Amino acid sequence: MTFKRIQVAADSVCDLPAEIVRELDIRIIPTYVNIGHQSIPDDGAQLDRQAFYRQLPSMKAQPTTSAPSPGEAEVFYQNMLSDGAEKIVSIHVPDRLSGVLNTMRLGARAVGAERVALVDSLQLTFGIGFQVWVAAELAVKGASLNDILEAIERVRQHTEVYAIIDTMQYLQRSGRVSSLVAGIGTLLKIKPIVRVADGDISSLARSRTWSRAEAKLKALTQDQAPLDRLAILHIDNHLGAERFLDSIREIAPQETHIIEVCPTLGAHIGPGSIGVATLNQNWRN
Amino acid sequence: MSLCRSKYGIDAKALKQALASAIGQFSQHVEVINEMNVFPVPDGDTGINMYHTLQRAYSEISDLDDSDLAELSQRFAYGALMGARGNSGTILSQLLKGFAEQLQTAEALDTREFTLACKRAVQSAYEAVTSPVEGTILTVAREATETLELRADDGVALSEALNILVRAAQASLRRTPELLPILKESGVVDSGALGLVSFLEGLASTDGKFDSPEKAGSPAAAGPDTPMDSSNDTSYGYDVQFLMLGKNLNIAQIRQDLEQVGWSLLVVGDDSTVKVHIHVDNPALPINYAVQSGATLDDVVIENMELQFRRRPPRGASSTAAQKHQTSDAYGVIAVAPGDGLRAIFEDLGCEAVIPGGQGRNPSVEDFLVSIDSINASSVFILPNNGNIIMTARQAAETAGEARVDVLPTTSVVEGISALIALRSFEDSGEDGGGDLDLAVGEMRAATRQVCSIEITRATRDSRLGGLEICCGDFLATGDGQILAAGPTTEAAVRDALAKVLKAEHELVTLYYGEGIQEREASKLIERLSFTYPELEFDLVFGGQDLYPYLIGLE
Repeated sequence: MTFKRIQVAADSVCDLPAEIVRELDIRIIPTYVNIGHQSIPDDGAQLDRQAFYRQLPSMKAQPTTSAPSPGEAEVFYQNMLSDGAEKIVSIHVPDRLSGVLNTMRLGARAVGAERVALVDSLQLTFGIGFQVWVAAELAVKGASLNDILEAIERVRQHTEVYAIIDTMQYLQRSGRVSSLVAGIGTLLKIKPIVRVADGDISSLARSRTWSRAEAKLKALTQDQAPLDRLAILHIDNHLGAERFLDSIREIAPQETHIIEVCPTLGAHIGPGSIGVATLNQNWRN
Repeated sequence: MSLCRSKYGIDAKALKQALASAIGQFSQHVEVINEMNVFPVPDGDTGINMYHTLQRAYSEISDLDDSDLAELSQRFAYGALMGARGNSGTILSQLLKGFAEQLQTAEALDTREFTLACKRAVQSAYEAVTSPVEGTILTVAREATETLELRADDGVALSEALNILVRAAQASLRRTPELLPILKESGVVDSGALGLVSFLEGLASTDGKFDSPEKAGSPAAAGPDTPMDSSNDTSYGYDVQFLMLGKNLNIAQIRQDLEQVGWSLLVVGDDSTVKVHIHVDNPALPINYAVQSGATLDDVVIENMELQFRRRPPRGASSTAAQKHQTSDAYGVIAVAPGDGLRAIFEDLGCEAVIPGGQGRNPSVEDFLVSIDSINASSVFILPNNGNIIMTARQAAETAGEARVDVLPTTSVVEGISALIALRSFEDSGEDGGGDLDLAVGEMRAATRQVCSIEITRATRDSRLGGLEICCGDFLATGDGQILAAGPTTEAAVRDALAKVLKAEHELVTLYYGEGIQEREASKLIERLSFTYPELEFDLVFGGQDLYPYLIGLE
């Protein structure tokens, strides 16, 4: 760590497991889930994900989510600089879908905008995670800011994030990505298979049954092999994630993680869904 | 009176009067024909369909006063084609088309011309049907004409020739149950055939009195609602193209023969060179056919559409809203659906035009043509969503001007909805970027086979069918042309049908509740069903359809 001059930071939507965060000294700023009058930081401690997802279907009002405050962003950066960082690479949930980057920009301005390289990941969940993970690995090895930013770009180009939305009801209620919702139709239960790319969510296919949706997800995932890293994503559906992983075991790389998506994102998607984040081996070339 | 004006034949004016009188008499028997049905369900619409067809035909000639036989018959046939509804109406329109074709060169309608015209009519009707089913209007028209040919030589007066035709048709009508087991089981004759006989009787009757087809008159049905499409493919299949080279190649015959082995058939060329394009499950069939015909084969291309589809690189980001918009301008979808709820569902899924209709209310060729015209797209998909509407839709497809029209042979709204979702899914995937409509059709056809449809309706009379005792007023569950269950309540019928049809691979049950069913009642039913089938997912949707308290999709 002594050579490290660049500090990597992200928001909690990147969904990196605690052990990777610890090992690579990544700094995570929590986003918030608002339930009723309570605003709970998604910091892995104060919000019990499992309990949250179990209660979600019966909550009277859909929870909302919010970005950290500009003040929190400033303190977040200030702490890193005090700890000796020369520059900060700060990777976040897309501008298009959230206000996080905006707050982080205000925080960065307060500590000196030239010290913080803000990155719009244009991705969600582990799609952000891959960028943060690789950036932190390079930072630990003492890579330059340019090398790190270039690597993030390559990772982004070789990342795919796909998911089966089990029910459209949460996206409908949340009002986010209304273009997606309107396109899918609202009268019948339809499970879209979505792709996250360029900071947006679009439908790749529509299915009325889970097994057909899962077959599509499997085919999409297999098309991404050979994989460098893989995350199976789920919302309160660990069993489903494991079963899906079994079905694509032959292409699963050593770095394969089963990840429960953060409530900040999950509140808009709802329990039951599964997905994948893939990083193709070619990102290294 | 009408047809016996002269020993040697009649002119246009007399024919017009005879038609008017025959249609007038036909109108009195619409209900009788309607009520005759192989299934004891309220779907008897043969009479009204044929009547609409005839009425529309007559509207074309009502103000023709000084025309000749050629013009009169041609206009009448054109009107029938535009107004054709249901299978029987469509076949009737084809009979009239052939009849008119023969009269294009006739100066007067005498026995000889009449016989030739009847032959031409039968030929035209058989050509129009992909898989002719015997024991229907087709059989009656053919057998009556065969008798006419044998017995009516030139010395027979036209009025007598017509009587021969009518008597032969009545006899043929009584034999229909022998040819079609479903008619026999139900103890009825075919209602489309009865409709034809009624029309001929009207033409022949001299005093305007309608002699009912003696005792034949127990119920009969609209063509035996047999799906006209026999292809039963299980994949996207193969795209097969080749040239046939030879002498005296018969395009009509080739087309007719190949229709039996595949779909999306195109046969073009002349008597020495014929280009064939067809989609099949087994590519050997059309190739064998061509070889065995004695023609020389050239330019044979066989493509596996499924592999072709799979090999395409995954895309997605490319399907931006702008591109989607462009694509949807290139083609449009027309669906037929009964009820406000079902209409809304089709519209919600991006259907450009929804024609109100279904069982008991078959849209006409003209309805389809108006819709095709209104959506102004270069390609059109039609979802007829009822076995009795498919032929009319195909007729419209053939008549439509420049647009390419694909008729998906969907026999229920449940299948139609599946096909439409498959089309939308196909667009989402970005695979339609090249506008490959054949692939889209393949996707939709595959989707219709992934869903199973059950319809709940009410029996209109006592009967015994498929080993079930059915009482008038019972609720019936039908699916795939079969009676699945009968019971005193909708729930009993639904439960028995589900128990019969559900397979391990089924995951989702969609209930479209119809007119007259309260949402609360339907939700309670779903609640109780999910208790019985905890592993299934249920979707309750308002359909608003008449006649059917519930339409059910299983997938």
